Amino acid sequence: MSQAAEHTEAHVLLAGDSVRNEADGSIRLVGGRCGNCGALFFPSAHVCPECMSEDVDTADLASEGTLYSWSVVHVAPKGWNTPYIAGYVDLSDGVRVFAHITGTEASALEMDMPVSLTTAILGDDDGVPVESYAFTPAKG
Amino acid sequence: MREVSVIGVGVTPFAKYRDKSLAEIGWPAVKAAIEDAGVEKKDIEAAYCGSALGGMMSGQRVLKQLGITGLPITNIENACSSSSSAFRQAYIAVAAGVYDVVLVMGVEKLTKFGGGTLPLEKEDFEVTHGLVMPALYGMRARRYMHDYGLTDEQLAGVAVKAHKHGALNPEAQFRNEVTLDEVMEAREIAEPFTLLHCCPSGDGASAVVIASAEKARQYTTKPVRVACSEVNSGKYMTGFRDMTTPEITVRGAKQAYEDAGIGPDDVDVAEVHDAFTIAELLYYEALGFCDKGDAAKLLEDGETSLGGRIPVNPSGGLLSKGHPIGATGTAQIAEVVRQLRGQCGDRQVEGAKVGLTHCTGGGISGFDHGACSIHMFSV
Repeated sequence: MSQAAEHTEAHVLLAGDSVRNEADGSIRLVGGRCGNCGALFFPSAHVCPECMSEDVDTADLASEGTLYSWSVVHVAPKGWNTPYIAGYVDLSDGVRVFAHITGTEASALEMDMPVSLTTAILGDDDGVPVESYAFTPAKG
Repeated sequence: MREVSVIGVGVTPFAKYRDKSLAEIGWPAVKAAIEDAGVEKKDIEAAYCGSALGGMMSGQRVLKQLGITGLPITNIENACSSSSSAFRQAYIAVAAGVYDVVLVMGVEKLTKFGGGTLPLEKEDFEVTHGLVMPALYGMRARRYMHDYGLTDEQLAGVAVKAHKHGALNPEAQFRNEVTLDEVMEAREIAEPFTLLHCCPSGDGASAVVIASAEKARQYTTKPVRVACSEVNSGKYMTGFRDMTTPEITVRGAKQAYEDAGIGPDDVDVAEVHDAFTIAELLYYEALGFCDKGDAAKLLEDGETSLGGRIPVNPSGGLLSKGHPIGATGTAQIAEVVRQLRGQCGDRQVEGAKVGLTHCTGGGISGFDHGACSIHMFSV
């Protein structure tokens, strides 16, 4: 699972450049926005899938969205902490993101419920914790 | 374009062949198809081999076992649609008049991975974040359950039906019937799926010999006509998508029915890509066998069981017959050809004249499926 990962001293950061750490300890999801046609996508890429322009810049994505669907995964490749909740989150800016849903029991989840961005330890790579972005039910 | 017919089919029954090589798994299907067609190996002008994870030169590795070498052999990878995509290439070549007699095959050995979920492409962003195929279909299922009121019991009913059919197929990987309780109480894989909601991992091969309609008459009095051959790819989307509608299959089915001049009401038997229980229900709707939201009713009314209006997966489908992924497409074609010839014994769909096969291939971010093939056959 470390294929796209970046090793730091303590953790494997799975999402690489697709996540940015903020000074206050929070994170932002970083996608791509096409300078030619305005398409927004995640993860970013060097060419726009809509218009093939290479004028693509990084763009901060929304940290809030709704839960489109989820599945509690009991059987997965080695390295993941199972069971885990896999989900698709529809961000308020129109991008759908695959994410682990954390900080909740699956029984508390509802279709289209508001969720917000967080970070979580999702597994381990030869004993080194693997961390990435995740979503959790929004407070309040 | 010329008319094309299937003149021979063969299958290496799907099972776990841990001690056999890919080549050893592959050749019995090819030999059976050639013998069924009544062709000499020198008559075969080209071969197309579908395999997703077989490695380099899968076709050559299998065909050298039978001394079928020196001809153009093309290997094709399109995930679970590999051999159905190979069939499409063979069909085009024969229809265009490039060749008269062509072999198509699919072969796969999944036991080499030791079990568990299908290994997906590690460059894919969602795969690196823990997407596995059962979870992807599980999310489709959960959304469909929410949007259309499908129950856990109704979903499990797909597996019960699949095993009921598979029990009648001597070539199926699972030949046992299962109860609703057994499906619902099996080990959890990815909710709402238990083990019996998921197709098994396994090995196997399948092969088909096709010929121009004119040439086919030299070999058989009962050719099976290829009524249409359709392969397309999914649409890449970064935004929202309705996961209860498999867009690629809806689009492919429309094209296939148009090409064949045959509508969904005329289909007597279908083999569809039931990799997970929910998939079969989504495909009833996408293929036009019922309206959106009515799939569970179609199943419960017995319309898709043997004896029903449109029997689906009389072979047992992927859930019971098995799913060595690259081998599935031509195995579905073998089943439908045998159905149209009336060779299916206890699982025969009486009087079947028109058959459809449907095979999707997926597992990469941003697509509902990467590939989808739909073929129709008639006698």
